[in-house]
Amino acid sequence: MNNIALGQYVDGKSIIHKLDPRTKLLSLMLLMVSVFLIPKPVNNSFGRLASFVMLLVFAVIILIIVLFTKISLLKYLNSLKQLAFLFVFTFIIQLLTPQGDKILIPNLNLNLSILGLGIILLWIILFIIFRKFIPCKLIVFLILTCLSIYLLTYDLGYSFTTVTLNLYEDGLFNGAFFFMRIFLVIMLSTVLTLTTKPTDLTSAIEWYLHPLTYLKINVSIFAMIISLALRFIPTLFNETGKILKAQSSRGVDFKEGTLKQQIGQIISLLIPMLVISFKRAADLADAMEARGYIPGAPRSKLNVMKFSLSDLFSFIVTIVIVTSIIVVSVI
Amino acid sequence: MKVRFNNVNFSYDEESVVLKNFNLTINDGEMVAILGHNGSGKSTIAKIMMGLLEVSSGEIYINDKLLSQETIDECRNHMSIIFQNPDNQFVGVTVKDDIAFGLENKNLPREVMEERIHKYLKLVSMEDFIDHAPEELSGGQKQRVAIAGALALECELMIFDESTSMLDPKGTKEVNEMIKKIKKENNKTIIVITHDLEEASYADRIIVLNNGFVVADGTPKEVFKNELVLEASGLKTMESVSIIHNLKNKEYKNKSLIEEALWELTFNE
Repeated sequence: MNNIALGQYVDGKSIIHKLDPRTKLLSLMLLMVSVFLIPKPVNNSFGRLASFVMLLVFAVIILIIVLFTKISLLKYLNSLKQLAFLFVFTFIIQLLTPQGDKILIPNLNLNLSILGLGIILLWIILFIIFRKFIPCKLIVFLILTCLSIYLLTYDLGYSFTTVTLNLYEDGLFNGAFFFMRIFLVIMLSTVLTLTTKPTDLTSAIEWYLHPLTYLKINVSIFAMIISLALRFIPTLFNETGKILKAQSSRGVDFKEGTLKQQIGQIISLLIPMLVISFKRAADLADAMEARGYIPGAPRSKLNVMKFSLSDLFSFIVTIVIVTSIIVVSVI
Repeated sequence: MKVRFNNVNFSYDEESVVLKNFNLTINDGEMVAILGHNGSGKSTIAKIMMGLLEVSSGEIYINDKLLSQETIDECRNHMSIIFQNPDNQFVGVTVKDDIAFGLENKNLPREVMEERIHKYLKLVSMEDFIDHAPEELSGGQKQRVAIAGALALECELMIFDESTSMLDPKGTKEVNEMIKKIKKENNKTIIVITHDLEEASYADRIIVLNNGFVVADGTPKEVFKNELVLEASGLKTMESVSIIHNLKNKEYKNKSLIEEALWELTFNE
């Protein structure tokens, strides 16, 4: 629970920390968009090479940005850990989707035999029983999945049916491509949230949304909502952790049980969370009101945003990267 | 700063009346402790004063100005409040941002904000934590930040609404020391809402509430001498006061002199 990086600003004095939040927001948004502008690997070796080289160059750029933030790499990896299943799921879906002409592994016959399925079932049971003691669960799970597929390619006897799969070359490249793409976007968003205070981020959003005030839309209220939401993400996660421990001490096991039991266990977590959140929201509203907050009223700002030379430089670098990607994509 | 409640009635629902024909005057520069058990209506008084709850009938005067929807913002400008839960009043992402929140609402210039933030953080001995996030602070430290935020507004009246009830003994001591320091160094009207008699003993005047009625009003010594009222109000007296009360039942030489000396010692007279 404490590994959630979103909303967790890490105080620092790095160049990235000091950049104007407007520059950071716009530059990182542009970089995110340009990740999506990198063309999908086409069905020829040059096209594939170009796509992956572009992704690699992008990864190096992000690595440089990450190093400039002077924040431990572990912080970034923690934010990725939460989305590991999304990465794996995307990769597997791409790998098994029929696409392109070239088949990497044709007619992969998986023999669904009693013995083979029995061994896999035994692995799954052992994994569930001992998962509390297994380090790097995801990696172990992936190894076991690969071993299971490999095992099923052998006819171990008492086979009742055979499933034929084709693993496509394009699927493999597309899987790797989408995996990289999500990885880079998450890294960019993590850079933004780790190096920018929610209040600064809100000020930047408010600044960009300023034209909407001409349409009589109160932008400052939206900005305050975003700011408070970001401020309370870590607090609510800590609260969830406390409820988890409290319910566990009463015998609720969130990791075990049938689907019905697990739904019940989640409800035992959700209801107190909702009650606490509403109570917090009411108390916070009172505290804000008591401190003179009037929605929509003019407010001064302690942190004044200043566009400096380093902002200009960062913005130029971003524009160069985005333009290069557009040019290479068109070519 | 003077506050006056005139025949105030308040209830959260039709069945349970919290305040009934409630009258109270708090004078300028006074430190008043409002004592009472849970549900006695003490926090309700604070919320009504801040305009966070609307009364069913009656009037509240803040510096002789009637508190109403029209005057609420003006009245709030004279008052600041520190609530019970330090987490639920921490708006900013860092200590500095949190103190700035109230000042930004007052639309103060940046230089004034910077000056006040440093001044009051120094006063509550939290200057070294200026860039810290709320998660990095203890309960007592968060409450000290809340006090700095309230002080920075430079209001004439400060309300401490059970501000130590969620703290450990160390945090409670920190906050109580701070209240005493504010009382000593600033000419502010202070209202301490509590069910802790020791905390109330620092006040100039104690008001005991029971089911929305004022059952005792006087100096700490006067109120604590009235053991029966405290017991009837569901309050447990201080250990030192209990000793004095127990001594009353014993026979010994110079009884009244010793008792008087103990009262003096208890209230640092």
